Amino acid sequence: MDNQDQLTVARIKELAAARSDGALISATQPHADTLHLAIDKRAMRNVVDGLVNELQARFMISVGTDRRPVTGNFAILHLFSLDREHLYVLLESPISADDLRIESITPVVPGADWAEREFQDAVGVHPEGHPDPRRLLLADDWPEGAYPLRRDFPYNFQPPPAPNVRPQLREPPAGASVVPMGPFFPVLEEPSYWRLFVEGETIVGCDTRIFYNHRGIEKLGDSVLTYNEIPYLAERICGICGFIHSTCYCQAVEKAAGIEVPRRGRYIRTIMLELERIHSHLLWLGIAGHIIGFDTVLMQTWRIREPVMWICEEISGNRKTYGMNTIGGLRRDLPNHAKPKLIETLAAVEKEAIAVRNAIVGDTTLHARTKGVGVLTNEWAKKICVVGPPARASGLAVDARIDHPYAAYDEVPPRIATQDAGDTWARVVVRVAELLESIRLVREALAAIPEGPICAEIKEEIPPDRVGVSVVEAPRGEAIHFVMTGGDNRPYRWRVRAPTYANLQALPATVMKGTIADVPITLGSLDPCFSCTERLETVDRRTNKVRIYSHAELLEISRGKIRRGGTR
Amino acid sequence: MTAWLVTVFLPCLLNVALALFLSPLYEGIMRKLRAAIHSRIGPPITQPYWDLLKLLGKEDLRSTGGAIYASLPAFTLASLLLLATLVPMGTAAPLAFAGDMIVVLYVAAMSAVLIVLTGFASASPYASIGSSREMMLLLSVEPILAIALSVGAFKARTLALDGILNWQVQNGPSISMAIGGLAFFLALQAQAGKLPFDIAEADQEIMGGPLVEQSGPRLALFRWAMWTKQLVLCFLLVEVFFPWPRLGIPLLDLMMAMGKVLVVLVLVAVIDVVNPRLRIDQAMGYFIRVAFSSLAALAFAVIGK
Repeated sequence: MDNQDQLTVARIKELAAARSDGALISATQPHADTLHLAIDKRAMRNVVDGLVNELQARFMISVGTDRRPVTGNFAILHLFSLDREHLYVLLESPISADDLRIESITPVVPGADWAEREFQDAVGVHPEGHPDPRRLLLADDWPEGAYPLRRDFPYNFQPPPAPNVRPQLREPPAGASVVPMGPFFPVLEEPSYWRLFVEGETIVGCDTRIFYNHRGIEKLGDSVLTYNEIPYLAERICGICGFIHSTCYCQAVEKAAGIEVPRRGRYIRTIMLELERIHSHLLWLGIAGHIIGFDTVLMQTWRIREPVMWICEEISGNRKTYGMNTIGGLRRDLPNHAKPKLIETLAAVEKEAIAVRNAIVGDTTLHARTKGVGVLTNEWAKKICVVGPPARASGLAVDARIDHPYAAYDEVPPRIATQDAGDTWARVVVRVAELLESIRLVREALAAIPEGPICAEIKEEIPPDRVGVSVVEAPRGEAIHFVMTGGDNRPYRWRVRAPTYANLQALPATVMKGTIADVPITLGSLDPCFSCTERLETVDRRTNKVRIYSHAELLEISRGKIRRGGTR
Repeated sequence: MTAWLVTVFLPCLLNVALALFLSPLYEGIMRKLRAAIHSRIGPPITQPYWDLLKLLGKEDLRSTGGAIYASLPAFTLASLLLLATLVPMGTAAPLAFAGDMIVVLYVAAMSAVLIVLTGFASASPYASIGSSREMMLLLSVEPILAIALSVGAFKARTLALDGILNWQVQNGPSISMAIGGLAFFLALQAQAGKLPFDIAEADQEIMGGPLVEQSGPRLALFRWAMWTKQLVLCFLLVEVFFPWPRLGIPLLDLMMAMGKVLVVLVLVAVIDVVNPRLRIDQAMGYFIRVAFSSLAALAFAVIGK
């Protein structure tokens, strides 16, 4: 740790002491890049205000946790990042069980809106002064007063069904009517419910209800699974950026336990992460085309994307959900015979991606649909703490690979692309540039990859009561995993924040004053995310014989049907 | 009585049959072409026929009641079959004595109006949005059709389509009619509900717009009506604006017209597949520019070019 970092740490401590007016309980530095401040809850908003407005700290996520078995209190943690100084700041406040309230920081940091509503739902600590304390995480028929992330709450609790419940939704302003989008809507791959308030075709406001897909993953992580089982669950958080979540979780545990991943392991992680970005961005480009009716873009980009999936299958055995990560490194090496094939695939993908880029850059109708549409101003992007391509398209140079280098990004740093316009077109341009940059990164990493072990040997138990913060730049922005270690070979608390969590909160500001026709593409330009099944297994019920169809067979069956002119 | 049967009823029946049974075939060809540009194999060319059959065999579900609402799909298709009898296909239009260019314009607009009514009647916000978009599109496209046909009327000094056709055959190509034909073609893209102008349906935005509540046999009739519309308007385009060479043998003329229709529809399909969807305000702006440009055709007609 150099002098400048020490200066920053000293400045933050000074600021916290001054702003908390003597309520600073402790200040520790569990890792070189993490500063952990415990402050009294009365001073929280004041300290946050100082961090954000004086030191330009960026809010990341809040963690609510039930520490009663250990300290007798609940605890609320707010996580911030000082991007230029490569530093995480963790503000923790103990919350006594007799007074389950804390000052809301949303009035100071609008981007903390969902995070605070989430800990209110999960552990029952009420953020006081929150502008919109409605239910966020839990289902509408979930009983009041049942807080799933408290330690004494069983993971398999089944509440009685409650009929006729509805989400609490806002009424439209006078003179406006409601156009519902969702919970199921053609271009939304996952359920989410947007109520658009419109005058004619112009949007004058919107309200939202999401979390229809809540699966209780964090609860499983701290009550049922063990450290080394969680990577497989983490990988299934997302159907597109699975490897990103398993890497991010492993890194958080490795950091908490002080495990050093071998260099080759870090390089392989880098390569797989960038391959995920390549196929994710191609997928996104296709969906964006589809949303505005340009299906040719969809079909062509997905055709280009397919060889990337094949090479991932060659490396890991799976097109997606590789199952390669484990605490300490990887379970599977990059096979030598895959290297030339990978280079060949990259060359082909690069050539076609450039052709697609040139085609869309010159398409005036495409410009008409994306330029000036869904503008997210730099000011709002900062306020809502947007991450990833939407942030970079609004002139914020936020990228976890630069801000908090992990894997091998310190040795093969990416060149990040930014735009200032903040509109949908800018987000297209940023993503296309990133796609080509990722191809370069994989090439560089392949050239520099050292020989050696891929996984660290872990001989001792992971010690309890340590914290680890890890970020990974997913294709959609920064994914965050926070781990607090516990006994029983499992985390005491595992907190996950996917990038969409931050970016979706920007939608209301982004669609304002646009038209209904612009909403799908604006939403699409922030984040689409879905998974798909590629294999089919049939069981003959008479003989109980299992037959697994291969990709080629399935293709042949479906093509045969077409040739027979079949309408089934 | 027999004379009436031969000169009017049978030709009418022929035009109606052509419009009904050829339109799915042309749609099938367009889909195949679309698939080819997508790098897909695509459905068989006969797929639209199977689609219709399957939809016609399904249960009839309605979002609202009422006899008028129930009969709207049939009226929509019927209005287009009426249009088919007013348009020359290889030979003179069978019902030409009943109405001229003005009637053709009204009947052509009727199907769009009926679809708009269906949308407003189906008690869905998406359908209402779709219907208001369809209405705006209709208002901006209809003048172009009127101007383009007026050029022919002005040159041939008659409002009868057959009169314009005959004048064209006798006098050969002219600048004004070429511009008129081009304007008609641009309007056709919107009339056929193809990209970049499929704004009223816009699946990804408003889930099919006016037709969102239609399913089964009702949807089949609306689909059929849309395909018939694109075919009949195409015939109108090639017969009035590009009728050469005219051999005078109805069957050969018909084959030739069908070939020309195929060329036009292939162009329509290519434009459809290489464009994203415009917003309604952008589309209206575009068609207002096209309408003003098509006035140039009238100017050329006045100076005799």
